[in-house]
Amino acid sequence: MRAPIAAAALALLLAAPPAPHGPRVAHVPERAPGPDSAPVRNLGDERLIGANDLARLLDATKFWRGDVRKLELRVHSHRVLLTADNPYVIVDESTVRLPSPVRSLGGELHAPIALIDSLPGDSTVNRLAYDPRGDQVVVLPPGGMVGTPRLIVGEGVTRLVIPADRPQDAAVVARARAHFRLRFAGYFAGVLPDSTRQRPLTGIHLLPAVSGTVLELALSSEAQGFRLVRDVAAKKVTLEFSRVAGEAWESFAPEGPPGPRALRIVVLDPGHGGADAGVTAEGVVEKSLALELAKRLKGEIEHRLHARVFLTREDDRTLDVQQRAEAANRARADVVLSLHFDGGPGTPDGGASALCAPADVGSTAGQLGGMGPGAIVMLPWRDVASRHAVESRALAEAVLSSLELRGMGPTHLIERLPYPLLGVNAPGLLLECATLDSPRDRERVTHDDGLTALARAIVDGLDAYRRND
Amino acid sequence: MLKRVIVGALIVAVLAWAVWRLSAPERAGAPLPARPDSMSTGLRAARLFFAAPSGDSLVSESRDLPESGTLHERVASLIAELVRGPRGTAVGLLPPGTLLLHVYLDDRGLMTLDLSSEFLSGFRGGSTAEGLTIASLVRTLSANVTETRRLQIVCAGEPIPTLGGHLPLDRPLDVQDW
Repeated sequence: MRAPIAAAALALLLAAPPAPHGPRVAHVPERAPGPDSAPVRNLGDERLIGANDLARLLDATKFWRGDVRKLELRVHSHRVLLTADNPYVIVDESTVRLPSPVRSLGGELHAPIALIDSLPGDSTVNRLAYDPRGDQVVVLPPGGMVGTPRLIVGEGVTRLVIPADRPQDAAVVARARAHFRLRFAGYFAGVLPDSTRQRPLTGIHLLPAVSGTVLELALSSEAQGFRLVRDVAAKKVTLEFSRVAGEAWESFAPEGPPGPRALRIVVLDPGHGGADAGVTAEGVVEKSLALELAKRLKGEIEHRLHARVFLTREDDRTLDVQQRAEAANRARADVVLSLHFDGGPGTPDGGASALCAPADVGSTAGQLGGMGPGAIVMLPWRDVASRHAVESRALAEAVLSSLELRGMGPTHLIERLPYPLLGVNAPGLLLECATLDSPRDRERVTHDDGLTALARAIVDGLDAYRRND
Repeated sequence: MLKRVIVGALIVAVLAWAVWRLSAPERAGAPLPARPDSMSTGLRAARLFFAAPSGDSLVSESRDLPESGTLHERVASLIAELVRGPRGTAVGLLPPGTLLLHVYLDDRGLMTLDLSSEFLSGFRGGSTAEGLTIASLVRTLSANVTETRRLQIVCAGEPIPTLGGHLPLDRPLDVQDW
């Protein structure tokens, strides 16, 4: 009697629909240990910082003279002298008057945060800034500070002016209107509006990033072109959006249809192999590293994205471009990633790049050169990847953006049909995951944790491409 | 008397020799080579493209090269200068030993460049290096042989599908794209 019941229960279990995917892993990139910071103490209208915190942030030595209630902070050849209940502070040879006196609270001196604007500005002293978002004082990174953006709406052109200590480090890292991303090397210590109704800018927010600042903007279709102006002398970056396209304006990324994309089958193509070693740098060989990365990626994709993954090679063998294309096409890939590690002349900074088929400004998904759906286009099979140029570009931006947010940049997108994608009938890209000639990159990817982090970052990018939200 | 005859004969002989020496170019027919000078050699400024020290872009360098009569000589000297490398802090891109074997330029601006096998065997890899190497060739040749509209690179007489496995070279490259 029990046996049929057990069998029925088992049958029910087997017939049950698969459990839904677990909660979407937010995989917010883990920030590197953030900048050194200290909380601000609010006393009525006064914002104060404790002297002990101040000394810690400045990496200063403290000298206390209880008889006169003076605290001296010494940093290299500089000194700051605070006196209890006195608004006058000595900084080196200068006397600075603060808006309110230094207070003694709980046995510790507290100075108004206005003091940080009067500290010595040479490289021997940590540069401090007040971060209103966290109500704290932070030690700025070498990239300096990024301030509050200001929106200026004009006739035909909308400008977003962003104060930045190092405008030369600002770069556009994603060009889709819905996810337009601007990267800075500095720390964002400004304030963003909760919402904006000044079209074409419909939204702006801060993305979590391992280092630096990434602002993501949402733009309406009224924006036809953009331009990034870096003013080093004035320490500001101006992002201009035009309602009219033209030669003076850069174009946005072509857009595909909204909604999630299919990502059931992923083909990973570890670059080179066999007689073709690829780049070799300090004993690190590209073909081996690419294969190792592909194997890790396979596990990550299967686990997190529940997609089937095929590798064009699973060992060290020579494959020609036709064999790679056949493998991808036979698998009916939704996406093809050709995995490489770069090498370059000179002393490269490192970072990642992606090569994908060029998409015309007038292109939309599944079309070529702006031709409407249903149009018949003759295309050599060699160039079949060009059919998927719009999706390929979206894939490239999603993956590169993910690498950027995890401090694996700088990243570059190059719109050229890459050799390994000749004859591949699917969206795809050649991904140079890191630069082996860069000591920093090489060290990162040759560590076990580093390669795993790289795989996860790529999968995050694939997930963003799939969600297309 | 005899002494006078001998002296006279010697004088006549010296004079005859001097006349012969002065009239030799007209008599011999073969012109004497002109003494080299900068006015007759001809130098022409050439623009060469190398990698920036950061390895992420190209920089140009101007160099005076002897003016060459034929297309082969012009292009060969450009290739030789690219192989020789930059004079400043820029970085050379063409592999050592790369030579020009043949060059053709048709009336529609298609230049076919046949480089020696060192071009392929000496390349050390990487898509950045590959892109810069190709761009260096395209820009140098199009800047100095202005009739060039497209460039087809072959190696030791054979078409090459790619230089390092990242960019296709099976088709002519449009100079506007580089």
